[in-house]
Amino acid sequence: MSENLHLGDFTQKVGTSPIPNYYGDALVTLAKNDPKIVALTGDLTPATECDLFRDTFPDRFFNLGIAEANMIGVAAGMARCGDVPFVHSFSVFLTRRAFDQVAMQVAYPRLNVKLAGFLPGLTTLLGVSHQSIDDFALMRSLPNMTIIEPSGPSQMAASLRAAASIDGPVYLRMHRATETISAAKIEHKIELGKGQMLSNGNDAIIFACGHMVAEALGAAKLLKKIGISVAVANMHTLKPFDTDFVVEHATRTGVAISAENHSIIGGLGSAVSEALAERHANTNVKFKRLGIMDTFAEGASTPYLFNKYGLSAKHIFSAVSDLLEIK
Amino acid sequence: MENVHRYNSANEISLKVWAKSIRRNLVRMVARNGQGYIQQGLGAADLFTYLYFSEARMDVNDPTWEERDRIFLSTAHNSALFHATLAERGFLEDAELETYTKDGSKLEINVSERLGALVEATCGSLGQGLSVAVGVAQSAKRQNRHFRSYVVLGDGELQEGQVWEAAMYAASNKLDNICLIVDLNNLQVEGNTQNVMIMDPIDDKFSAFGWEVLSIDGHNFNALGDAFQKARCTFHKPTVILAQTIVGKGVPFLENKMSHNMVLPADVAAQCFSILGSGHE
Repeated sequence: MSENLHLGDFTQKVGTSPIPNYYGDALVTLAKNDPKIVALTGDLTPATECDLFRDTFPDRFFNLGIAEANMIGVAAGMARCGDVPFVHSFSVFLTRRAFDQVAMQVAYPRLNVKLAGFLPGLTTLLGVSHQSIDDFALMRSLPNMTIIEPSGPSQMAASLRAAASIDGPVYLRMHRATETISAAKIEHKIELGKGQMLSNGNDAIIFACGHMVAEALGAAKLLKKIGISVAVANMHTLKPFDTDFVVEHATRTGVAISAENHSIIGGLGSAVSEALAERHANTNVKFKRLGIMDTFAEGASTPYLFNKYGLSAKHIFSAVSDLLEIK
Repeated sequence: MENVHRYNSANEISLKVWAKSIRRNLVRMVARNGQGYIQQGLGAADLFTYLYFSEARMDVNDPTWEERDRIFLSTAHNSALFHATLAERGFLEDAELETYTKDGSKLEINVSERLGALVEATCGSLGQGLSVAVGVAQSAKRQNRHFRSYVVLGDGELQEGQVWEAAMYAASNKLDNICLIVDLNNLQVEGNTQNVMIMDPIDDKFSAFGWEVLSIDGHNFNALGDAFQKARCTFHKPTVILAQTIVGKGVPFLENKMSHNMVLPADVAAQCFSILGSGHE
């Protein structure tokens, strides 16, 4: 009887057919070519897709238990001995809970530690304690930290390779795939620190990251139907931030939106605001930040939360329409 | 390698001479502008002397030697002592000690990696050193390397929860290449540790966490020698040396004066030198 039970791991949906571990597979592939890579988890091995790594490289896998502060310190010690630790937990515990440890033991000494955080923003039923709405803000404020959020499973492997290519600390903001994607859709490249133009347009530009890239593309499609041409850019690297790209395209279109699955304070919206304000000569760019509007949320399904907290294509559609004064 | 220690020949007389010289230098460093932790420094001077002169394997000609034993100073504020010890051991010029706490100096009140080699982690934020030392011990095991990981914690620092996270992990993973030394000087910012937080029995706490526990007099070089030797011969579990020390040790009128951040007036410093010597005799 017990063999019929579904053994949940917090993030896989019950009853769905298995969805590939795009992150976990990519990590194993990377580790096959680099014996220095080790994986650390805090009692969340399957939920952070480290089970394949654990089974493939048992000698290079370390479960630190439910103790994130210690896990960061141990990772730092291992990096100091030449290992390359990939540290896994939910984003909120890696960044908010262990912030001082990340600052002093990873960022300050610029150690080669990769922090892979899962459950970004409002993507979990587990509630406010597990929702990472300030991780960009925290990690952006740390000197020496690189921050990457892939736009989805198609960009996971590329972002992992990009992180590994840097000899220094990286925060990877990861979300597990909820559906299988075709092999043809897998992207093989990510140009670190560069804005990625996904669709061109002249009336406005949406700077998006993570989940909001798909929502932005959806909004652009809706806007196209009413004759509005909107560009969509994937800002996968939050730090170092592509200020030149943002200024160029915001100035060109005159209307800009930032869209992120994160608080509007301290993340992508702030990065775009800072770029526009500091560089800027042209004060005529109309700009609005979309994201979690300086509030805590609650546990619920992702579509419900995205709808309730203003993170859907239709919210982006409305924001662009408002800025363009379309009635 | 001739310069690689352990100093097998380090006898008690030499250790006492080094310790006295270290104490003299740390008084000089702190007396100059009253900045720095004099009482803790004097208290742990014998411990540091033994650790750096007799126990740890390191190479004065190659401070970044990859197989050196790592010593983590989790009580990073005990920096006058740390810098004075490195200078005595030949890793710093005596002249550099003169810059301690001065603007622009690499010798800061909380030791940072700006100093360079032999600062194995930046630990001013208390409670973090043991975790990093555990990570080093874990990698040493994984890589089949034979250096050891030493870490000095203060007793007040045991109030940080992360210490116990790290202690649990080290025992759980049988890391016998780590040696924790707790400087039991009974002193924290607000005075006697027992008035702030009752931590006893510290030995039973570590035993319960799966550690080998050795309680010693932190001013007795023979006891220190025996304890470190036992730690090296303890397998499949980590060792903690609980070293009872006396703040202000070595300057009788400062001994047991429970001041965490004491200013040292010139006349008092002069009295210290009359006891510790001027260094030119």
